[in-house]
Amino acid sequence: MRFHIEVEHPERCIGCYSCLYACSRHLYSVVDPTRVAVFVRVNKSLENPFNIIACRFCAAPECALACPQGALETLPEGGVTLTPSKCAGCKNFDCIEACMLGALVLDRRARIPVICDRCGDCAKFCPHDIFRYEEMKT
Amino acid sequence: MSSRLRRVLHIDLAEKESRVDERPELFDTYLGGAGVASKLLEEECPPRVDPFSPESPVIFAVGPFTGLLPSMVKTVAMFKSPLTGNLGESHCGGHFATALRFAGFGALVVKGAADGPSLVLIEDSEVRVKAASSLWGLSPLQVEKSLRSADQEGMESVASIGIAGENGVYYSGLIADRYHHFGRLGLGAVMGAKKLKAIRIHGTGEVALERPTEFKEFYEQIHRRIVQTEEMRKYHDLGTPINVMMLNELGALPTKNFTQPRFERAEGISGERFLETLLERKISCPGCPVGCIHLGGLRTSFSPEHELGRREAFEELELVPYNYEPIFALGSNLEIGDASSVLRLIAQCERLGMDAIMTGSVLAWLTEAVEKGLIPRQEIGELEPRWGDAPTYSKIMENIALTKNQFYKRLALGTAAAAEKYGGKDFAVSIGKNSPAGYATGYGFVVGTLVGARHSHLSNMGYSIDQKAVKSNLSLEQIVEKIADEEDWLYVYYSLVGCYFARGVYDEETIVKALALIGLPKAGGSLRGLGNEIFQRLYRFKVREGFNLGKEEIPKRMTEIETPYGRLDQGKLREMVQHYIRLRERQGLRLRREDEALTELLSPTAKT
Repeated sequence: MRFHIEVEHPERCIGCYSCLYACSRHLYSVVDPTRVAVFVRVNKSLENPFNIIACRFCAAPECALACPQGALETLPEGGVTLTPSKCAGCKNFDCIEACMLGALVLDRRARIPVICDRCGDCAKFCPHDIFRYEEMKT
Repeated sequence: MSSRLRRVLHIDLAEKESRVDERPELFDTYLGGAGVASKLLEEECPPRVDPFSPESPVIFAVGPFTGLLPSMVKTVAMFKSPLTGNLGESHCGGHFATALRFAGFGALVVKGAADGPSLVLIEDSEVRVKAASSLWGLSPLQVEKSLRSADQEGMESVASIGIAGENGVYYSGLIADRYHHFGRLGLGAVMGAKKLKAIRIHGTGEVALERPTEFKEFYEQIHRRIVQTEEMRKYHDLGTPINVMMLNELGALPTKNFTQPRFERAEGISGERFLETLLERKISCPGCPVGCIHLGGLRTSFSPEHELGRREAFEELELVPYNYEPIFALGSNLEIGDASSVLRLIAQCERLGMDAIMTGSVLAWLTEAVEKGLIPRQEIGELEPRWGDAPTYSKIMENIALTKNQFYKRLALGTAAAAEKYGGKDFAVSIGKNSPAGYATGYGFVVGTLVGARHSHLSNMGYSIDQKAVKSNLSLEQIVEKIADEEDWLYVYYSLVGCYFARGVYDEETIVKALALIGLPKAGGSLRGLGNEIFQRLYRFKVREGFNLGKEEIPKRMTEIETPYGRLDQGKLREMVQHYIRLRERQGLRLRREDEALTELLSPTAKT
């Protein structure tokens, strides 16, 4: 069963970072504001509204197309899966540069990109229902 | 990286140098926040130091749950207060705590003085002290906009003083991340004396979870309690301004320099009115899903010739944080009855970087002193303060921040110091030289503020004990005992460092469980003992610096205002303080300066 996550109401964000903390807890069992697949972007000053960015699960993702190693593969339902063994050793990280939304970052410790596994914890911990999280229709 | 705090960053502004001390035992014993800061203050602050001298330290500390648990979001600052001459302690939300922790530090100690305007930049382990003349004179809001990165991974915080801090106003603060304040007791002036305009911290580290599965479950329980139960509803709906109408109905809303407990125009400055007419946005501290920071919109037309039909299209919009205390201090206490005028005065405090509660207290005293003819006409000049006259108050505030002449320099020292010079001590509403918060609730509030280590309503919840005491007929002794108990316990909570608003969620059992989950097992009883130890250390500091609780006076005005108990009796207030002194002395604390003086005299190292 696959789930879809959509950032539906970024304008509701109050900057509580609950999504971001939940994401790093889930993916790495740590709290690390840099190793996440969901981002609270501060637009230069806290006077400006926050923006929330997460993977859009593109049908033909540029990140996968940019990967010379074939480490990122497109999933039939959209989005990508990563084979870390193929990724290791890359120094260019074209995948990160390829995502124009900026939804992909590098896990600077493991030197591989952080991939959303659609656990839905960002949606679960958001107090303002910014995310839509639902089962995908087959 | 370990899940526990251990590193203290020391910065010397004069030498432009820094070092890191590994102090795991310090954090394991005193948790963090107030506990760790109290120990560092003891180590770093020389006795009887001039708060504005280079040797006077500024200390910041975060807690073991910073970044880990909901609402554990604050940073504790400790320093020697120029306002009271003893303990300076102020707590602030925003991004400061998480940025410092993810940069790898549990505490930060700043000493020395720079030779010109400076900025401290902390990028994880890389620390720089940079000359920053271009920032001097800017408002903390301009500094935030100028220094924050466009888009950066990790957590970033920008904290800055305003011109009030640059000019040594005794109640100037440090504003972090635009909307959060180390507001009380003059941290801004201490930084200003060091020529330290701002601190920017960027942290990209991580905090490991020792028992991840259990921790995640625990986190979820706390998160649910905060988001889904009634416990914290008041903070995310109307916010603390809900108190305006509540206290007005109770007859405990200080009005017109604490002469009345009710304000005729309370509705005009109520939380409801702010919400309906001014609220634009709400924001949170990172790690707290509540969103208690209410931002009101202040609209100002900047160019009359552009007003072509649609005036609002040519207005600048300024977002100003509001909550109950500034609304009382700059609203009811100055007889200002409309929300937008109050918001304008709050905005002025933000721009200048001044504590709103003390600013309101000084203005209220000044208005009454002028009415009573205590201030020579030539000193007041053009700006005659009148109840309800917000524009004049705003100009006076600016003159205070600029310390424009001898008169405003005196006002910049606080209410007690102003009354010392001009008279009017009876109505100088100042307790322990700090200005009390907005609760004319009675004995618990007055005594709690006086005996509290930092003379704050958040020291020991005296105002809240009052509301229970009136209902359940607590004796005055019982109130005193509750005050002492609360303060000990809150020093545990302030070591963690939790937000005061979430104190109900983190009861003793919850805290014991949470500490075990990060590998810091403590028994409930030992925690209370620790709270008492921290309190005692802070009081020893106060007494050492000259504070004498037995000799502190409670201004007459506090006994003239009607409270839910009726008028307070000066004799009973004194008895309560004496009861408190005996209670604390039984716990082994020396509160009398005579003892200290004698010890000093007999000590071979005594200064002559």
